[in-house]
Amino acid sequence: MPDQPHVLRILWTRFAWRHWRLAPVSSWLLLLILALGVAAFFSIRLANEAAVAGFANFTDLITSESDGLITAPVGPLPTAVLKDLRQLLGNTPVNLVPVLETSAVPPRRAETEGIGARPTYQILGLDLPALVNLSSPAYGGGLPATASAEASPSAPNQPGGGLRTNAVYISAALARRDQLTNGSRLSLVINDRLAALEVAGLIPNRPNQPAAPAGLLIMDLPDLQRLTDKVGRLDRIEFVLEPGALRAERWAAIKQTLEGANLPAAPRWVVSSSAERREAGVTMTRAFRLNLTILSLLALLVGLYLVFQGLNGAVVRRRNEIAILRSLGVTARQIQQAWLVEAAVIGLVGGLLGLALGWLGAQLAVQTVGRTMHALYFGRNVDSAPFDFQEALIALIVAVAASTVAGWRPARLAANTPPAQIASRTGTASDPGGRWLQRMDLGLGLLGLGLLLTFLPPLRMEGGARLPLASYATALCWIFGAGVFAGQILAGFARFFQWLKWDSVPLGLACSHLRKPSGRHRLAAAGLVCAVGMTAGMAILVGSFDTTMRGWIARTFQADVYLSSDGDQTASSINRIAPATWESIAKDPSVKQANVIQGRELILNGVSTLLVGHDPRFFRDYSKPAWVSAPQDDTVFDAARNDHLVLASESFSERFHVAQGEVVQVPVPGGFQPVTIAGIYADYGNERGAMLLERGQFAKWFGTEMAASVILALQPGSDPEALRAKLRAAHPGLGVFTSGFLRGEALRIFRQTFAVTYALELIGILVAVVGLAFTMTSLLWERRNDLATLRALGLRRRELSWAAALEGGLLAVAGLSAGLLVSLALGWLLIFRINKQTFGWTLQTDHPWGQLIILALLVLASATLAGWFAGRWSTRLPAEREE
Amino acid sequence: MAEPPTAGRGLVLTAKDVAKAYAGRPVLRGVSLELRAGERLALTGPSGSGKSTLLNCLGGVDRPDSGSICFKNQALELMDADGLTEVRRRDIGTIFQFFHLLPTLTAAENVELPLQLNGVARAERTDRVRSLLERVGVAGRSQALPGELSGGEMQRVAIARALAHAPAVLLADEPTGNLDSRNGAIILDLLQELSDETGTALLLVTHSGAATHICHREIHLRDGLISGVRKADTD
Ligand SMILES: Nc1ncnc2c1ncn2[C@@H]1O[C@H](COP(=O)(O)OP(=O)(O)O)[C@@H](O)[C@H]1O
Ligand SMILES: [Mg+2]
Repeated sequence: MPDQPHVLRILWTRFAWRHWRLAPVSSWLLLLILALGVAAFFSIRLANEAAVAGFANFTDLITSESDGLITAPVGPLPTAVLKDLRQLLGNTPVNLVPVLETSAVPPRRAETEGIGARPTYQILGLDLPALVNLSSPAYGGGLPATASAEASPSAPNQPGGGLRTNAVYISAALARRDQLTNGSRLSLVINDRLAALEVAGLIPNRPNQPAAPAGLLIMDLPDLQRLTDKVGRLDRIEFVLEPGALRAERWAAIKQTLEGANLPAAPRWVVSSSAERREAGVTMTRAFRLNLTILSLLALLVGLYLVFQGLNGAVVRRRNEIAILRSLGVTARQIQQAWLVEAAVIGLVGGLLGLALGWLGAQLAVQTVGRTMHALYFGRNVDSAPFDFQEALIALIVAVAASTVAGWRPARLAANTPPAQIASRTGTASDPGGRWLQRMDLGLGLLGLGLLLTFLPPLRMEGGARLPLASYATALCWIFGAGVFAGQILAGFARFFQWLKWDSVPLGLACSHLRKPSGRHRLAAAGLVCAVGMTAGMAILVGSFDTTMRGWIARTFQADVYLSSDGDQTASSINRIAPATWESIAKDPSVKQANVIQGRELILNGVSTLLVGHDPRFFRDYSKPAWVSAPQDDTVFDAARNDHLVLASESFSERFHVAQGEVVQVPVPGGFQPVTIAGIYADYGNERGAMLLERGQFAKWFGTEMAASVILALQPGSDPEALRAKLRAAHPGLGVFTSGFLRGEALRIFRQTFAVTYALELIGILVAVVGLAFTMTSLLWERRNDLATLRALGLRRRELSWAAALEGGLLAVAGLSAGLLVSLALGWLLIFRINKQTFGWTLQTDHPWGQLIILALLVLASATLAGWFAGRWSTRLPAEREE
Repeated sequence: MAEPPTAGRGLVLTAKDVAKAYAGRPVLRGVSLELRAGERLALTGPSGSGKSTLLNCLGGVDRPDSGSICFKNQALELMDADGLTEVRRRDIGTIFQFFHLLPTLTAAENVELPLQLNGVARAERTDRVRSLLERVGVAGRSQALPGELSGGEMQRVAIARALAHAPAVLLADEPTGNLDSRNGAIILDLLQELSDETGTALLLVTHSGAATHICHREIHLRDGLISGVRKADTD
């Protein structure tokens, strides 16, 4: 029969649409569930996008987009290199933009303020007078403009004219947020000092570029060099070509010239294209993004399971109608198409709803995801996630496609409904998943395959990240394998209760249905196994993490007082403590011993990690490291003998595949230094990995005495609080923390990161129970004639409700027993495979039994309750009139 | 019984040696019959004798194991499932014991549905639905949902729906089985009048002796075999 669109239209307008209108609550529920899945997917992707977009150079916002830049391999470049470059490039039409960059935070308002509570600003030092060239419309550029109309007329605000010392240009967003105008004061901690800045104007917005974020500040280069003790030094020099044809080719030519050149002021330096750097930023976070995408797909999958259950239930309830339509001459294919269209429409509407929710969610997520990425990788702020049409389209397509897939089986089921004349004879033909879930061999096979997969190594990605793909596959295999066995367990329980011969009609009724579980029962039990397994597995991971972290924190923060620049809030912060400051502090009479810590970000094989200069003896005595491979002897702790010996963190050895005794080539200004790994210690604070070197060697190799932090052990009997107050008064730019405070903060940050897992656990339970409720209503609907008969036989509504409650409860018991068993395996997998492979951390296993028991009771109670409500609902169903 | 149809009118439906078994148990064991345009044929027999099975085979919702069924010179056994559905949509009207009205559609919409499925234009549909509902005497309830109608009213709407697309054959499986005798009589009268008016052949499965009166012929089934044929006798 040719396709007949008018039939589809009738099916849609007269039937599907009408059912949706007649049952608004369940319709909205279904849409909302899908929308939530899509929202999770979309918001995570948007937040990601925003975080990565934050990686684009800030300078792009003010000058035209740069074509490339040069940096030193480690540390700063001397300013003199500018002259070399000019000479080298002759009169090639290219603008050189020297840049110095630092981060800063406002001084703390309260002494107890938590880490990360204050906003972090990014300050760019630019050669403002020279930038006038770039502000010509040819570059689409613009220069800082006056902040507001009320600017004092006497203020000499002309760029290139007499700039005031410590003049700062701010974004319109910040001016609005903090009500700043020209002449407003802005006090910020830079390195170990408090700097007073004065607002001199606004950063202009460039057409076709996002507005400058609130966290971006711009200063004249010499001012910032002075403020950061980097006179004569630069972080990078950017190259900006005039826009026009052949721009890429012109840049390539310049790059070639640069690469072959010899710059007297900087013997070693690195030239890179902006496009490459952006690419690198994306690569660095690829694994992180992939992990998040897997998580968000999981959310979608859960939505789909429920859409499947919902549609399946709808088919069951509309079975009569379908049968009559078949009698009246609607073909099976048309029925199937109509249901697929219905599923797709659910996907579309739910998807659109999800986009709206997801966009809102993304704004929240950038705060958390953005902060994580910020701390882990970039050290740049992201404060909003713009709506992205391409991402929206992807999310919508995924939603429609996925919903259609979820509707596939229900649509087939609908199409298989025979005409009304014989439909009543064949009984109910809908038994989703029945065949698959009865196959014990399939269950065993999946469990075995999962076990084999655990032997596979993680996928190593560009940028040093590892993705435990095989372990994720193991998790899936185990969950589905256990799901297959849940049906068996269900039947076992039912037979057991029957064997007990308790004299209870509801229990007898419930067991009679479960003794030979239908496909619907098996599917519901498998759904519970999945939800309980993942939820409890996650709880085991978090519990183990919690125990391990607490132990580590208690051991690690054993010294008394910790100092860092108060501008230092993240792993990649570049605020430092000047030698004069830390020397004077170390001489304080109450200080017994000081560990001065220096640090540098290193790129090894294109992968970023940390090199730390410290006092190894102090580390051993006060940080009490947990050894993964303990040093063989005391050499590494002896300043006289530990030349070129380092301690490496477990993450480092995992990431770079190096073991104790192996040698690593460390890039330093002017060459490489070979270091030997003397020992490997556990570290849960840093997943990038770190090598610890004796500080004297570090200072010599990098030619700096600036410290990242200082750790103090006090003389017996001295009061850390008193010293803290004294140091804060003497050095307002220093952050001074007692070990007690730091321990609390470390735990707080850790808990905050894992708070989302509790939300996930709740969602897991919710999904399992909603899925079970859908199942129960379908089951009871199919049984409505028997229920009418039972009522005619004299059963009370209450007894029937109880029978349904017991059926739901027994389903939950079966799902829970298989689910908890698989969760133990998943917990092991998460701790010893997924976590170890991703972060390089070994955790001490700790099963949070209390939490698992609460979880089990919650699932049991809500499943019983769902069954009870479904049972009560079913007793009011009209019986079908049968022949 | 009523007058037999004028001879020479075309054959609408023929069955030849139709046999069917369920799970090895024969239900129909070689049944042959013919139905002419405008003819009313009663199919009687004890419960379980295979009446519904035969009707389902004739209507193309079930397939016989052997034998042949021809509908307007088309052999049903040669058609695929979609072909059978197409025949049902165009040429067959069905009336059920339990009415089987669609619960979410009003009476008028139920009657309109076969017309929609056959692609009839809206204006024509509206006219036809109104006249059909008037004809079966439920015009006043055209906007009511099935749940708001009495059994007799439901079956009248079902008859209007079955005749809406002017099918060649009307198949009715115990259409009065769920009605009281008064309402049953009204329905039977209606069926008789309408088939006379429209020339639609009627195959009526029934238990009741009253129903056989409106038919031209009666075929009696027993254990899957025709055990007797009765021509219309004059009242
Ligand atoms: N789908 C089926 N599966 C098994 N047996 C069936 C089926 N349909 C009908 N039967 C059997 O075939 C026999 C005839 O049924 P039916 O045609 O409904 O008889 P009638 O309508 O004359 O009462 C009965 O014994 C019935 O049990
Ligand atoms: Mg019958």
